[in-house]
Amino acid sequence: MPRRRSVLTTLLIVLPWTILLTIWHQNPATRYLTILRKETYENSSAKSLQFLINVTKIKEEQHTACTHQQEVTPAQQTARRYVYSRPPGWSRWLPTIYVITPTYTRPVQKAELTRLANTFLHVPNLHWIVVEDLPRRTNLVDSLLERSGLNFTHLNVESPKSVRIGLAKDSSHTPRGTLQRNLGLRWLRENLILSDSLEGVVYFADDDNTYSLELFEEMRSTQKVSVWPVAFVGGLRYEAPKVNTAGKVVGWKTVFDPNRPFAIDMAGFAINVRLVLKRPWANFQLSGVKGGYQETSLLKELVTIAELEPKAANCTKVLVWHTRTEKPTLVNEGRQGFTDLKVEV
Amino acid sequence: MTMKMKMKLKNVFMLYFLVSICGLMYALTQLGQPCDCTLHSRQSSDLVHSRDRTISRLQGELKRLQARGNPEGPPKPALPTIYTVTPTYTRLVQKAELTRLSQTLLHVPSLHWVVVEDSPVKTSLVSELLKRSGLPYTHLCTQTPKDFKLQEGDPNWLKPRGVEQRNLALQWLRENRGPSDEGVVYFADDDNTYSLRLFEEMRFTKRVSVWPVGLVGGVRFERPLVERGKVTGFYTAWKPNRPFPMDMAGFAVSLPLLLANPAARFHLSAQRGNLESSLLQTLVSIEELEPRASNCTKVLVWHTRTEKPKMKQEDALILQGLGSDPSIEV
Repeated sequence: MPRRRSVLTTLLIVLPWTILLTIWHQNPATRYLTILRKETYENSSAKSLQFLINVTKIKEEQHTACTHQQEVTPAQQTARRYVYSRPPGWSRWLPTIYVITPTYTRPVQKAELTRLANTFLHVPNLHWIVVEDLPRRTNLVDSLLERSGLNFTHLNVESPKSVRIGLAKDSSHTPRGTLQRNLGLRWLRENLILSDSLEGVVYFADDDNTYSLELFEEMRSTQKVSVWPVAFVGGLRYEAPKVNTAGKVVGWKTVFDPNRPFAIDMAGFAINVRLVLKRPWANFQLSGVKGGYQETSLLKELVTIAELEPKAANCTKVLVWHTRTEKPTLVNEGRQGFTDLKVEV
Repeated sequence: MTMKMKMKLKNVFMLYFLVSICGLMYALTQLGQPCDCTLHSRQSSDLVHSRDRTISRLQGELKRLQARGNPEGPPKPALPTIYTVTPTYTRLVQKAELTRLSQTLLHVPSLHWVVVEDSPVKTSLVSELLKRSGLPYTHLCTQTPKDFKLQEGDPNWLKPRGVEQRNLALQWLRENRGPSDEGVVYFADDDNTYSLRLFEEMRFTKRVSVWPVGLVGGVRFERPLVERGKVTGFYTAWKPNRPFPMDMAGFAVSLPLLLANPAARFHLSAQRGNLESSLLQTLVSIEELEPRASNCTKVLVWHTRTEKPKMKQEDALILQGLGSDPSIEV
């Protein structure tokens, strides 16, 4: 009898606490208290872009407390102080631009990613997917992305050696960046849910090109695949789609193989994210791709030329430049290395 | 005895149960508060029922987020202005370079961009770009004398570049700024890459501040050597015996110092690599330099250079009289 009683008493003691705990976990209001929760999938972390920028404290190390976007109600989008009248706000109404950037380690990498981040900070609702060409993600890119203040996803996949070093002049080998871009597409397919209300655009942005801010607003309204001119490609001042008077794309103004199904550079088109999700088999072809046909290998699975949407004033304005950065001549490093390797460049 | 203890224990238990019941009640009332779910369903029904409202809000939102032009109100008087002097010249990648440089500079508060073209007249490309950039700017132009201009095919180091343009900017500053103006002058070439932290490092310069520069001088980075917070020398592999063996992007001069030395300028006659020294020699000694970037151990600026784009097809077309439409600006 006393034993039963003690059991009963312990049960009665524990019961309220268990009830409280279960209620506590289920209550969404308490989630506000968990800050900076990192998703564990491949170390990707998406942070809300709502952060306070203090005029006097623009330091890249400043870690801002972010909460997940879904939990912030419109009423809580309170005072944001902007440095200039171009805040990197996160709006519920603008379609997100998913920018996929393959990158690889070389001396100018940090510089390229830095100035690219400076550009992207001006674009609202941008999610940057950076894919490194390495077996493991580097601290350099990781800390750069963390400090940038952008919404990002950090992935990596290693290309076969011949591709990485760029020795593959043979057309049967995979062009550089292919595996990385495909991984970016795969991440989107695995992390976004296809629905009619899903809005977004996918853009492949190499880390050495130059992008005007106007370009991102042009591509935001893409329904299927939109196209525009790109400067400094194909040995020309710019390559552009040929647009007829009815506003439809009918051909390509290029000198290099204009008869390709899609004679356009990687930087010259954007795809609606719903289309990417609807066609999970559409990827960049890994092998057997002739020079200049890489873009075709993806686009032919997604659209026909008649469905292309011309942007940039019917493809008469140049909003993106295919710039390339010189390889710095590190002749004075010598064989032993002159500079301290601990200093990150 | 045991009875008394039992009574006390019973009281304790009663108290405990009362407290926990109260707590539970409180938690239950908390649940009654509006939670995300109801808000989400309300939002989705909004979206469903008012497409037009969404579209107009989209447009309004876009306009709001894109509002270019002057910053909200005048810049805070407390922050010294950074006068960024950028010499530039017409070539294919000029618009691209200035575009991405302006995108970086737009993040920096209290910055005034001084762009000086190597041209007899101001070009419309640069004028329009500056107008649209959203930055406070000054647009100047001056042409490099013919003897000192690089010819086609010359290596880029053969003659000093941007000298007259930078001097014109200095002259403008002397004519338009007075001893009461606080500020710092930085010579930013249009093809380098700058991190945002760099500008905060240089803002409060008293005389001349210095820091490392990446990818220059044939090495990963060049930097001043710092001991006990003072610059004692320079870590560079190329011509280390120059008075100031550093790159143009590696230092900033305070505006009062420049105004106090009206004769200080860059010299066209300077030997290769001595352009920076030709200015700094007249302004400051090595001991007076202020080291930044964590005692010159962090690289916050990179001396990147952009490749000249290959125009093989364009040149061929031009020969045939079929060059690309020149009215389309690149």
